[in-house]
Amino acid sequence: MRRDEVYGQLGKVYDPELDQPLTELGFIGGVSIDGNTVAVHFRLPTFWCAANFAFMMAADIRERVSELPWVERVDVQLQDHFFDQEINDGVNCGKTFVETFPLLATDNLDELRETFRVKALLTRQERLLRSLLALGWLEDAILGVRVGDLPGLPLSGEGTALAERYLAILQERGLAGDATAPAFVHPDGRPIDLSEFRVRLEHAQRTRLSVEFNAAFCRGMLKTRYGESEEIPGFPDRAADPRQAVRRLVE
Amino acid sequence: MFKTDSGEELFVLDGHVHLWDASPENQANKYGAGFISCFYDYHRNLSPAEYVWERPVFEKYGPEKMVKDVFIDGYVDMGIFQPTYLKDFYKNGFNTTEQNSWLKVRYPERWILNGSWDPRDGDAGLEYLGSLVQRYGIRGAKLYTAEWKGNSRGWKLTDPWAMRYLEKCQQLGVRNLHVHKGPTIWPLNLDAFDVRDIDEAATAFPELNFIVEHCGLPRLEDFCWIATQERNVYGGLAVVMPFIHSRPRYFAEVLANLLWWVGADKLLFASDYAIWHPRWIVEKFMAFEFPEDIRKEFGVALTLDVKKKILGENAARLYGIDIQAQKKELAKDAIAAMS
Repeated sequence: MRRDEVYGQLGKVYDPELDQPLTELGFIGGVSIDGNTVAVHFRLPTFWCAANFAFMMAADIRERVSELPWVERVDVQLQDHFFDQEINDGVNCGKTFVETFPLLATDNLDELRETFRVKALLTRQERLLRSLLALGWLEDAILGVRVGDLPGLPLSGEGTALAERYLAILQERGLAGDATAPAFVHPDGRPIDLSEFRVRLEHAQRTRLSVEFNAAFCRGMLKTRYGESEEIPGFPDRAADPRQAVRRLVE
Repeated sequence: MFKTDSGEELFVLDGHVHLWDASPENQANKYGAGFISCFYDYHRNLSPAEYVWERPVFEKYGPEKMVKDVFIDGYVDMGIFQPTYLKDFYKNGFNTTEQNSWLKVRYPERWILNGSWDPRDGDAGLEYLGSLVQRYGIRGAKLYTAEWKGNSRGWKLTDPWAMRYLEKCQQLGVRNLHVHKGPTIWPLNLDAFDVRDIDEAATAFPELNFIVEHCGLPRLEDFCWIATQERNVYGGLAVVMPFIHSRPRYFAEVLANLLWWVGADKLLFASDYAIWHPRWIVEKFMAFEFPEDIRKEFGVALTLDVKKKILGENAARLYGIDIQAQKKELAKDAIAAMS
């Protein structure tokens, strides 16, 4: 069904700051399909949410939904935001960020996106490291884990999902090409040394905490603003099928 | 004044309070409406149900209610007014030093009246800053880097004009700068909550104190780093504290980090009234203890001494208030007579 296909694509769009899919965050307010045109209603926790992240998400929605072969036109409709009109006009006309905000932006968003992908890597890594430590793994054993070992780590449930998410971001960043390469690395690919294990973990802990604190706040604010009564699916891990939950929210 | 079970009386200095007028009559445009709606959602989202107000009350609650909420019901002994002008969003401003001075005049012992400045006001703003010192004797200022002004959508502490204002603050003895970061819109492609300009300003002006409101959240890691490097950077706990009710685990983790990295001497309690009522925050904070695993991991404890520092002693030190002498003054004033 076309609707499911659209939600499937939207499940691949992440809030760059929170590193979670828009469908799980409740940011998709609804989808309407008219022939080969798809309109996506997109909403945020506050009127003042950062406009650069809003633009990134709107542009990603357009890109992902456009990947469906039957889609000819995508109409992203950000609502209740101080720059909603500007962002909708820009994204729906295929403009870049600088083209959309010639007076306010000095560059496109690549640098900002990169900063937050690094934070996402650190956050996912920290969660996985902690789950291994909680199972009693020693630090040197953890640092001995290879990329190829990640899918088969003796974890369960939440831990398995953490390993999958961590592997996915290593792949996205080109750090997973060699299955024998160390799995726990700095964002630039250098292996983490045993002597710096604790410091790195503490550093990543603060990054993870900022992201989680923010995500908790955003979820609460969205709920306050739009009044969902349904609990949005589990945090921090992905629900088995986010589309189910999102459909409930939409209907 | 908060009285512990053992009868000890704690001095409470609320580091961040407002008396605003966001009523529809004062809203200048959709941004003014959007601004207060956002605050109202913060209020509704994090307050216990019995502390949630009706929207019209929240938009304009007036000085009498503020005095009752903060001092009579809220355990607070003194409050710091942190004006946020927002004249592009509200016809008469959102809450200005002049508006706040109405209460300062009536209850002088209860308030620290701060000013505010904006480097985009150029020379005229420097003069205005001088006049605030002359008229009100301000020793601190609230800086809101995300404020819109004409075509501008925000500023940074490292802007050349901001540096001139900081020099002027140093000359005039306006020593405490409460910096509220984000969401800054200029330049729009950079992180709207970036706190790193504070680092440079704090290094350049070692005699000034920089109190970073809501501890730089959602950029806690950058804030902790800066506050560790710079001895004159402090954390204001507005927005952090209300999490004690709805998300106590996050509150504990954030506070443990702050105590470890920033230290118990550099954190200031703040309710951000009227976004949140100080009464429930103070009560919950006094009753709060770290979960065992967090205490172990960070090796920090939330002792009564730490709570005293956060609730009042740290802010008192920054503003040169002798707590024992001040308690005596407060016991004689009109508000003491009401409670």
